[in-house]
Amino acid sequence: MTNPLPRTLQLRLREHQIFLVLSIVIGVLAGLAAVLFTVAIDQTSHRLFGLTPSRLRLFLIPTLLSVPTGVLLATIFPGVRGSGLPQTKAAYRLQGGFIRARVPFGKFLTGVLSIGAGHSMGPEGPSVQIGAGLASVIGRWVGLSPTRARDLVPVAAAAALASAFNTPVAAVLFALEEIIGDLNAPLLGSAVIASVASVIVERSILGNEPLFHVPTYHLVHPAELAAYAVLGVIGGVLSLVFCKGLLGARLLFRRLPRWTMSFQPAIGGMLVGLALIAAPAVMGVGYEYVDQALNGGLLLKTMALLCVMKLVATIISCSSGAAGGIFAPSLYIGAMAGGAVGFVVHRFAPFPTGDPGAYALVGMGTVFAGIVRTPMTSVFMIFEITQDYQILVPLMVANMLSFLISKRYQPLSINDAILQQDDVHLPPPAADQAAATSVTARALMRADAPLFDPAMTIAAAAARSAQDRSTACLVGTGRRLLGMVTAEHLAAALAAGRGAEPLKELLDPDADTFVHVHPDHPVETVFDRFGQSGGVLPVVSRTDARRVEGVVTLDDLVAFGRPRRQAPKPHVEPAPPVSTSAPSTPASSIDTPS
Amino acid sequence: MTDDEPGNTSDQARLLRRQVLQLSALILVAIAAFFVTRSLAASNREMRLADGAAWYGRGQRDLAAGNVKAAVDAFRRATVGSRTDTRYVLALAHALALDGQDDAARRVLLGLRETAPENIDINLALARLAARDGDVTTAARYYHNALYVPWPDDQTATRRAVRSELADFLLAHGRTAPALSELLVLASNLPADPALHRDVARRFAAAGDNRHALDEFEHALRAAPDDDESLAGAGQAALALGDYARARRYLDRAPDRIAGVVDARQLVTHVIDDDPLAARIGGTARANRLRTNLAYAADRLRACLATGPAAATDADRALDADARQFETAHRGSTAENEDAAEAGVDLASRIVTAATRLCPPATPRDRALVLIAQRHGDSDR
Repeated sequence: MTNPLPRTLQLRLREHQIFLVLSIVIGVLAGLAAVLFTVAIDQTSHRLFGLTPSRLRLFLIPTLLSVPTGVLLATIFPGVRGSGLPQTKAAYRLQGGFIRARVPFGKFLTGVLSIGAGHSMGPEGPSVQIGAGLASVIGRWVGLSPTRARDLVPVAAAAALASAFNTPVAAVLFALEEIIGDLNAPLLGSAVIASVASVIVERSILGNEPLFHVPTYHLVHPAELAAYAVLGVIGGVLSLVFCKGLLGARLLFRRLPRWTMSFQPAIGGMLVGLALIAAPAVMGVGYEYVDQALNGGLLLKTMALLCVMKLVATIISCSSGAAGGIFAPSLYIGAMAGGAVGFVVHRFAPFPTGDPGAYALVGMGTVFAGIVRTPMTSVFMIFEITQDYQILVPLMVANMLSFLISKRYQPLSINDAILQQDDVHLPPPAADQAAATSVTARALMRADAPLFDPAMTIAAAAARSAQDRSTACLVGTGRRLLGMVTAEHLAAALAAGRGAEPLKELLDPDADTFVHVHPDHPVETVFDRFGQSGGVLPVVSRTDARRVEGVVTLDDLVAFGRPRRQAPKPHVEPAPPVSTSAPSTPASSIDTPS
Repeated sequence: MTDDEPGNTSDQARLLRRQVLQLSALILVAIAAFFVTRSLAASNREMRLADGAAWYGRGQRDLAAGNVKAAVDAFRRATVGSRTDTRYVLALAHALALDGQDDAARRVLLGLRETAPENIDINLALARLAARDGDVTTAARYYHNALYVPWPDDQTATRRAVRSELADFLLAHGRTAPALSELLVLASNLPADPALHRDVARRFAAAGDNRHALDEFEHALRAAPDDDESLAGAGQAALALGDYARARRYLDRAPDRIAGVVDARQLVTHVIDDDPLAARIGGTARANRLRTNLAYAADRLRACLATGPAAATDADRALDADARQFETAHRGSTAENEDAAEAGVDLASRIVTAATRLCPPATPRDRALVLIAQRHGDSDR
């Protein structure tokens, strides 16, 4: 007789099996939630607008309905503004996959109200947050280990996206590429299982209909690749305009007084209502118009107009904080831009070309790749939507160009940039983190970081700074950092006779950056950034870059000594060279990889 | 305490048992949620279908009112509600074509055709678009795609009409051989309906296949012996085939109001009654017919030359002298001399041909003299 497996091993195996079954159940539930969400949006929009809404209705519905939505978003469901993808990413990377139980329900409700009321947004991002939220709640309820519970988040994200787009492969890639940040993640198997389960459920309910009906397109002439490259460049520029525009408009909204939070979606709704009067086709998700562009059903002027209007309307909707995603708008903008380019190429190219619909198809991928920054996902998504191998080469050429252009001028993806704007700094992806040294800023820092009260006079601050022999002082209240003032600045202010003024006067209201590290940063980064810091390097939380967790001074570094390494690794950090930060405070942060 | 110790493992086992129960509960919840979602999705689908139908109705009304652009927009919205509904897409394509957007109409139809390559209506609509552009090859391909798929039993007549349409299109573009192929297929499956046989016969005649035309007209006449159109058609087909006796039999019964009947009847009458080489006529009759024919031909030419046509040549003028010379040379001998009679027939034919060329149009008797000469010339050969 063979020896039975040890009892603990048996139990561990059963936990694996439970996780596997749970992946399927989560896949089914996330898929159902995504379908239900789409149906609810459809029904709401139909009931609110009817077949042919009047101009008054087009203006009033988004404006008025955004008032209760805004109140809900500001009071009961503060974590569900926008698409939900940044929050999901942050929950997975920073909070052990913890998402509050009210998040999925709040997202469902506010998403239906926002998109159903005509905000120019899509259902995919919210579906991901709803699915991930359900998974997080279920994982905790079932009593999974923290690691296992965290793993359910990207699994559910893949399932929700698979159901929303009916693209199982692209959804898995998206979860790996965007949520986990590692294409080699060990969760691939679970994500695939959940994604398949979700798509099976979705297809059994909605039928095996692709998201878009697209004729078979292919490269008609090799010279067409040049035209597709031009489309890639245009897609990249449009992505850039969208990202910069969204971040800029978001900053404007954030600078409004805090009490306006409840009404910001209504301000957005009013502006979107005006846009709807001019072009009702930019309302809500708008896939029917994407379908028409893909099938050559729209004229050049119409597509050009819709491209611009959708871009503006989406920036307004998203920046105002309404609950909805940017996947659908990015596909819409791309399809219109691509279709318009296709029309021009079709008319003026000296060689035979494909229909404008082929360009609309590739355009969808380019803008998606440029905005969402998931090039693999964008290629596979279009491939799955069309099921046409012939379009792959032009698609890859255009997507890569768009991706590179967008990345060159806007280093962070829109989701990461939004998180940065909210003072949330994501850690590097798991693989890079594992490769980094095990010594981190946490080991070097002093937790008792002294903050200078902003009300303190400049003279008092200079005296204390001289007493401490510090080269810079961190200004803030409690653990909350407002900014940093160097000893040179203090001395200069004193020389100018401003000694009686409060210290906060020296904080630059327009400065958006300050050098910092996070507790998990490797020691190399600490050394590199210390040189830029002015002598005092704050260590701030990743979930709130304004919360000081410690400080590193020259003494700390000397005490530690530079670690000897054979080949200094380039620091891996997902953050941008310069990140914008909360508008409520003038200062911001630099999260600079060297 | 290690993992393998009894207390620890029993706790884990209890946790796993609880997890299994929770999973079971979740599965039940998922099943219930599935049915709820499916029912909501079904009602949503109904709503979309109703929207589609409403837009379709609006599009039809716009189209009837001549507002093509509004119809295009309405049909487009109808297709959103039900993207694969052939009716909506066909209506959209039709409206687009009416609006002059042939390319857009074609794209719409081609998109739909990818999901239903054997759909008759789609292929037919594509064929008609190509036919409108004069693209014979493409049109014929789509017509064939439409024709060669299995048709419902109750649509045989429609299928026949489509094949007739294809034949007409091919004939209009000078593609006689493929048109005849279609007509032969058409003729082989016709029911005993005189109107159908008559229509096919007309098409055969238009394609120049008078043999099949005559067969089909006679088919029609068997079912409806007094059908005027068929009598006229059969007479003209028989005339074209040189079967003058049969032609006369039909043309005599055909009414004069039908275009060409009087003319054809006169022609046939002349061919039969003026033929000097006809069988079973006496020598005197033969001589008389020949003399009369030559006199007619000579008079026709003389009258023509008297008007001084610019195209007249010496050879034409010499024909008159030839007629006199023939008359002088063969006076009274043509009754017995068959070679002389044939020469006279040939001469009369040449004279009227010249007269007709110089002074058109040809009269029935002119054509009759030529036909008589051809008839005997062919039989000699």
